[in-house]
Amino acid sequence: MKPITILIGAMGGEGGGVLTDWLVEAAGAEGYAVQSTSVPGVAQRTGATNYYIEIYPTPLAQLNGQRPILALAPSVGDVDLVVATELMEAVRVVTRGYADPARTLLIASTHRVFAVAEKTAPGDGRYDEAALAQALEAGTKTRILFDMEQAAKSVGCLVNSVLLGAIAGSGILPLTPATFEAGIKAAGKAVTSNLKGFEIGLAAARGQTPAPALPDHKRPLPPSDAAERLWPRIRAELPEAAWPMAGEGVKRLIAYQDRRYAGLYLDRLGPIAAAERNAGGKGNLTRSVARLLAVRMAFEDVIRVAQLKTDPERLARIRREVGAAPGQPLVVKDFLKPGVEEICSLLPSILARPILALAHRRGWTQTLYWGREVASTGIGGHLGLWLMARLRPWRRFSHRWGEEQGEITLWLDSILAAAAISPLLALETAECARMIKGYGDTWRRGSGNFRRIRDAVLAPTLAGRWPLAFALDALANARAAAAADPDGDGLIRTLEAITAKSPG
Amino acid sequence: MAERSFQHEINSLRLGAGEVFRGEGILAVTKALLQSGISYVGGYQGAPVSHLMDVLIDAEDLLAELGIHIEACTNEAAAAAMLGASIAYPIRGAVTWKSVVGTNVASDALSNLASPGVKGGALIIIGEDYGDGASVIQERSHAFAMKSSLWLLDPRPDLPSITAMVETGFELSEASNTPVILELRIKACHVTGQFETKDNRKAAISRLAPTGAPAAFDYGTLSHPPSTFTHEIAKVEDRLPAARRFIREHHLNEVFEGDMADIGIIVQGGLFNSLQRALLRLGLSDPFGASRIPLYCLNVTYPLIPEEVAEFCASKRAILMVEEGTPDYIEQAVGQVLRKAGLSTALFGKGCLPQAGEYTSDVLAAGLAAFLAEARPEGFDAAPATALVAQVEAHRTQAATLIEAALPGRQPGFCTGCPERPVFSALKLAQKEIGPTHISADIGCHSFGTLPPFNMGNTILGFGMSLASAAAISSNTGKRPVSIMGDGGFWHNGIISGVAGTLFNKGDGVLVILQNGYTSATGQQFMPSTLAEGHRAEQPMNIERTLRSMGVTWLKTVRSYSVGTMKKVLQEAIGSAEKGLKVIIADGECQLARQRRVKSEDAARLKAGGRVVRVRYGVDDEICSGDHSCIRLSGCPSLTIKPNPDPLRDEPVAAVIQSCVGCGLCGEVAHAAVLCPSFWRAEIIQNPSRFDLWRDRWNKRAIGWLHGRAAS
Repeated sequence: MKPITILIGAMGGEGGGVLTDWLVEAAGAEGYAVQSTSVPGVAQRTGATNYYIEIYPTPLAQLNGQRPILALAPSVGDVDLVVATELMEAVRVVTRGYADPARTLLIASTHRVFAVAEKTAPGDGRYDEAALAQALEAGTKTRILFDMEQAAKSVGCLVNSVLLGAIAGSGILPLTPATFEAGIKAAGKAVTSNLKGFEIGLAAARGQTPAPALPDHKRPLPPSDAAERLWPRIRAELPEAAWPMAGEGVKRLIAYQDRRYAGLYLDRLGPIAAAERNAGGKGNLTRSVARLLAVRMAFEDVIRVAQLKTDPERLARIRREVGAAPGQPLVVKDFLKPGVEEICSLLPSILARPILALAHRRGWTQTLYWGREVASTGIGGHLGLWLMARLRPWRRFSHRWGEEQGEITLWLDSILAAAAISPLLALETAECARMIKGYGDTWRRGSGNFRRIRDAVLAPTLAGRWPLAFALDALANARAAAAADPDGDGLIRTLEAITAKSPG
Repeated sequence: MAERSFQHEINSLRLGAGEVFRGEGILAVTKALLQSGISYVGGYQGAPVSHLMDVLIDAEDLLAELGIHIEACTNEAAAAAMLGASIAYPIRGAVTWKSVVGTNVASDALSNLASPGVKGGALIIIGEDYGDGASVIQERSHAFAMKSSLWLLDPRPDLPSITAMVETGFELSEASNTPVILELRIKACHVTGQFETKDNRKAAISRLAPTGAPAAFDYGTLSHPPSTFTHEIAKVEDRLPAARRFIREHHLNEVFEGDMADIGIIVQGGLFNSLQRALLRLGLSDPFGASRIPLYCLNVTYPLIPEEVAEFCASKRAILMVEEGTPDYIEQAVGQVLRKAGLSTALFGKGCLPQAGEYTSDVLAAGLAAFLAEARPEGFDAAPATALVAQVEAHRTQAATLIEAALPGRQPGFCTGCPERPVFSALKLAQKEIGPTHISADIGCHSFGTLPPFNMGNTILGFGMSLASAAAISSNTGKRPVSIMGDGGFWHNGIISGVAGTLFNKGDGVLVILQNGYTSATGQQFMPSTLAEGHRAEQPMNIERTLRSMGVTWLKTVRSYSVGTMKKVLQEAIGSAEKGLKVIIADGECQLARQRRVKSEDAARLKAGGRVVRVRYGVDDEICSGDHSCIRLSGCPSLTIKPNPDPLRDEPVAAVIQSCVGCGLCGEVAHAAVLCPSFWRAEIIQNPSRFDLWRDRWNKRAIGWLHGRAAS
């Protein structure tokens, strides 16, 4: 008879230690030799950490005074039960080789807690979840997997009691659920909620997995009459693949500016759709441009921020998010810090240009800001934002408007030129616009990178100086470099390398 | 008061004869100390031995009953020096720290302690911070035992063995007039198990029964010439033989016979369980430790008993020395024993086993297979063992290929709301403007600043050493370096080696002292400038006043969450034309400690119907651009990403999750770095006053009217 081996992968602060204690107490209470070890130290501060438990499956009383020698750490391929509080931590344990596909039971929560590297990427740095799930499937024999974090939240406990329930229900240990429940009661902390969490885990292990959370997190704008009236144009002028995006784009731009602007949006999409048709495309390009163009046309300025901040729906969302009870007073303060550029973007060009030129010369764009904390739930703060949002009609006469429309035209032209060469090249060209986003520094950096790529890669490509394969490769590399090294000069180095290797 | 409350553990320290202690290894050691009749105890906190001191500091009443003097030492040198009480008086004492770093700090006092030797038993409990989970340089404490003639115990990692060694350790110390080190690896400190307890013992001499008179003057107990020459001889002529006699007579090392009698394994006691697991996997032992290969388990790893070693090896063709870490001191000594005894037994060790790194059971299984293949014991086919090891290795390789891209690391980091994170945000922002600076990092939570997303720090030279390690930087780089130091490090060492040294040498540099009020990384123990109320009579010292009296003139205290101010002050300090030491005290209480306090205070006030404002931060997901610069400047665990709710965009947006404690860093960073207007701060007013309700009503009414008018 060999000891039963249990490895728990957790992060600091998730209650892995308590889970370990519950298991040790239960095994001890039923008269088994049991031992646990852990490596807390600094791991208790949010880092990944492991707990390891061994239980000898014959009760001590039947061992004639002998005591098994239990190990203090897991061995490769020698773990009977892997427990993990989060999806990636489960994969970490499995890919380090502790699990055995012919033997190991995995009990883990499928929710994600993102690692720093996943969070800091400027675009989407999340690890591919399908790949994670696949690794677990291939690396273990049987699995009890569901979103235990959500289940735990629903009853107000930590994920550890749900895991304990699942362990108890799996039958892998020679311990009865009643012993675990007694242990939770004896520990005397958050007994009611822990018992509820335990019940959910227990039921899940017996096949009654709670329903997963609704995957649809998108929040489309509500339909409007003005938008409805543009639908016939969408259907007539654009390929079907682009309809949903274009419909959303139209709603966005009506809310952002007016119906005329949404009309301009469709005017701009028409030629793209035509070019794609000519090139034999199926609508992917138009769909992509419909999305990116709507975002570019609804560029972020002070008026837009004021519009969003004064939307009554927003306050309801915040109340839900912070868990404010009905009727409970809530004060919301917003952190606004418009700079010279934001203020000038509202002025007409004739005024904005000289001020901006001076500001650039003096370095004011980096130093001159008006930092404000605006209480948007108070009438004073709200009124200021509300008035700002009322400037919407003025936007057409602002400096930023002119600049943006010019840039958009250039971008659309280059997509059209690229489409004449290849639909794929057009798509890559369109996608470059993704990096233009945000405000202040972020916006400056993004637009700067976009211009660099346009000059160094797009220009020679569209001039026909580079072969298509090279151009596609160069574009992809440049975009990846801009995304990977947001604050450094990775893009500049990549562009230099591309230029050095370029054929023409 | 430290991070954990130890009330449950204190109760188990009171267990009497014949009862069963259940719990963690390091707490079992604490109980064993009380059973050994100690008169005093001290130490400096550090994983994995922090709990020993934490629980004793909480167990004030129990210590008073037993008459034990306890000292929360300011560093390990102080703790080692405390053992000086056992030089002149027949009293038992124990001290503890994290090794090898703590032993390094203590080594001056240790040498001076070991030279005269002790009358009363002196035990040094070290947490050998080695292998998986270790946080310090990987060196062996073994060297200190050898160079200073201290005996080194390395018991099997189960509670009965460990606790027996504590009590025997005192006897060994007294029998040989030598301080004894009890070495416990990380996992042994945290292993759970049980052992049968004895009654706690009051010492003959203690606070309850003081001697009333100091010891008579005896030049021979001073580590001063010519006594030192006598000590040197006594160490090898008297104390070493006495120790060996005691170890042999009391069977501190264990021999386990096996049927494969022509080979054997010598193993450090601490590795016994891992070795047993490796043997079990190779089919050479059973779960109860009946090994087929004879084992000689060294529960005392220094000194060796040459006769015992020779006896074990005499009948064997080959032995394997299982000794973790480098250099292989024991293997060298065993080789010498074999040579001097004229034995032809082949010696294997490093070579079959790796030179460096932790000896896990997998590593040991591979080493055993290699040994068996080389040693070829009689009537044994080593091929299945070799095949099994190959199979395990293949399994490991296969498992790694289950994913294509490597998983991102999940290193420890600053807690949610940590007051140290904003300082690194400010430093990162300052560097954007004034260019990179040399950053001299230190030991403590703030060493997380060397990890993503900050990646700051050029060197780490030890606890409280950052300023001292920057002494030669300014003149060689032509730029002023920035040294980071915690308040724990300041009192541990930095005040003298750093501040006094820099002032004395008219050095030029910036020192940022992160004043959070505790030694936080080790579990928020109190230190000299802790302000929080505890039940011990601390005398809070003031870092700012201390620095002023030392002669620091450029000194600014900045609230650590004020990122904008901190950035400005940092730029000023780094760029100032004035030469000399510039000190910035970043002031902010450890958030873990603060939350523990505030949570119970708030809960009490809420219950009593008092007004409590809960603060949470959040992000407007429609405004967030998905660029995540805010995260790159923060790394807060509560600031994360979520799917983009905008149907037109797919990059994840920033989100603040429920664990937010409302420290305000995201707002400060958004302001200081001019990021984006998406951050908001929500104040949820619980038990609102009548004024709150009135104001809320009027604001809602006015805003409602505004929107109603606009709609119509």
